[in-house]
Amino acid sequence: MNTQTIAEIEAVGQGAYVESADENRMVLNMGPVHPATHGVLRLLVELDGETVVHCKPIIGYLHTGMEKECEDQHWRSAVTIVTRMDYLAPLFNEQAYALAVESLLGVEVPRRGKFIRTLMTEMNRLSSHLVWFGTQGLDMGAISVVFYGFREREIILDFYEMVTGLRMNHGYIIPGGVWQDLPDGWEPVCRNIVATMRSRIDEYEELLSLNPIFLERTTGVGVLSSEDAEAAGATGPIARASGIDWDIRRDMPYEIYDELEFDVPVAEAGDVYARYKVRMQEMRESCGILEQVIDQMPSGDYKSMDPKLTPPTRSEMNRSMEAVIHHFKLVTQGYTVPAGEIYTAVESPRGELGVMVISDGGTSPYRLHVRDPSFVNLQTLPAMSTGGLVADLIAAIASVDPVMGGVDR
Amino acid sequence: MDRSGLAQTPEGRASGAGFAEDADDRFEIVVQLLRHERRERRTIHVVASGDPPTVPSVAEVWPTADFMEREAFDLLGIRFDGHPNLTRILMPDDWEGHPLRKDYGVGKVPVEFVPQPFLQIDAPGQAPEKVGAGRDVDGLGQSAPGERVWPHKDRKQA
Repeated sequence: MNTQTIAEIEAVGQGAYVESADENRMVLNMGPVHPATHGVLRLLVELDGETVVHCKPIIGYLHTGMEKECEDQHWRSAVTIVTRMDYLAPLFNEQAYALAVESLLGVEVPRRGKFIRTLMTEMNRLSSHLVWFGTQGLDMGAISVVFYGFREREIILDFYEMVTGLRMNHGYIIPGGVWQDLPDGWEPVCRNIVATMRSRIDEYEELLSLNPIFLERTTGVGVLSSEDAEAAGATGPIARASGIDWDIRRDMPYEIYDELEFDVPVAEAGDVYARYKVRMQEMRESCGILEQVIDQMPSGDYKSMDPKLTPPTRSEMNRSMEAVIHHFKLVTQGYTVPAGEIYTAVESPRGELGVMVISDGGTSPYRLHVRDPSFVNLQTLPAMSTGGLVADLIAAIASVDPVMGGVDR
Repeated sequence: MDRSGLAQTPEGRASGAGFAEDADDRFEIVVQLLRHERRERRTIHVVASGDPPTVPSVAEVWPTADFMEREAFDLLGIRFDGHPNLTRILMPDDWEGHPLRKDYGVGKVPVEFVPQPFLQIDAPGQAPEKVGAGRDVDGLGQSAPGERVWPHKDRKQA
């Protein structure tokens, strides 16, 4: 069989490895189980010798129908499902969803709640970028880097555990605020994390930024032009490394970002190294944001105290029959959200994470759609990898930093 | 989105008796547009009518819509005229139905991963369909020897 192109391969329904008439050309199936594809990403790569002629991402191996499941959940409990989509940045999913539901409800989150959210999500940006940092280094052959990345991520995960009780999939940010207040002694822990991260980011940069092997593997590799990035709908660090100066936190501020001072790092080169630089600088900016948030943390309520939205405390229920009724209604039936539709977006570590919520006035979402940045950013992969070597494709995948839980949902 | 069951459209356009499952205007496409320079978002609603529901593709204009239209095709069964490669993206290629439609129930489709029946290898004369004989296959210890009925088989017959 002389099958030469991806289109023909698909026509005959064959996957793995087909020898073609042109002995230099072959179609290689990469993934879905491959350590360098960061999850269950499958790539159909058409090669001429070692040069990538065509690259096609095939996804869906982790599809579990979370959007459909949300339609069967109460507004409050759908948080526990959206948090499992992008599992490296769960708090952003929760935040985007909570913001959407709040704007339908017309609920104002107390100021402390907004600060706690910002604190937690910026921590999450650090921990997510640390995984990217580790895996990017690992894929480039710098094995020690993955240990450093995960070592620092661990102290952030410990902080999550201290605040939310869980290391991942927190279900912490809920419509109306956050689920519970920061525990005693959070401040020294946070300051310690920020101080540690500040010195460690410099250390990382010393390890990689001038490392000749790393430079060789990343500069001029996986180049994505500004036009290609915009056409493919890339957002986040990928777009910013290609010269698109766009950050939702700065340009369409939500929560308290209009009060905070931070820079949006932008690079022009559009290669893997530029994405590396942008993400490293973003981690520094996150540290700066965290310092401001810790300094300015106000006191007060951390979630909306509307009895129709927040269950009463146990002591209130001991005293008031009305509180018992509210609790019963909220637990068994949930609250209703006025009919309407809304799209809100937050700047996740991977780009624009948008949640479209449609309510029919009932106690669960009528439809919930998540525009996951990994899903959209994967479309840049063909443009990045075509014309490059197979080894450069690995670098490009790592620099896209896709999270398949978010891609497939 | 599948609007069947909604009393009115989310943006407030009333619809007589709601959107029925066989109504021509049951499906609607919502497109979110963002313009960087002007920092504004626009939402476009397009009704996908016909059988199958069809709308023109925007993948030529905005290539980023490629995956999104494939997702809508896969999960809702909406056709996009002019799309270069309109195939299933999240569900398996041979999947039947479109899961995000409102008439597609959750949990009504039997799970694909069917366990292999245990063959009675230590009694060669025994018929192979008497599975799990003498063994506590799932650790529950409830099945009588040779009479085990597999739940998935029941479901298929029903």
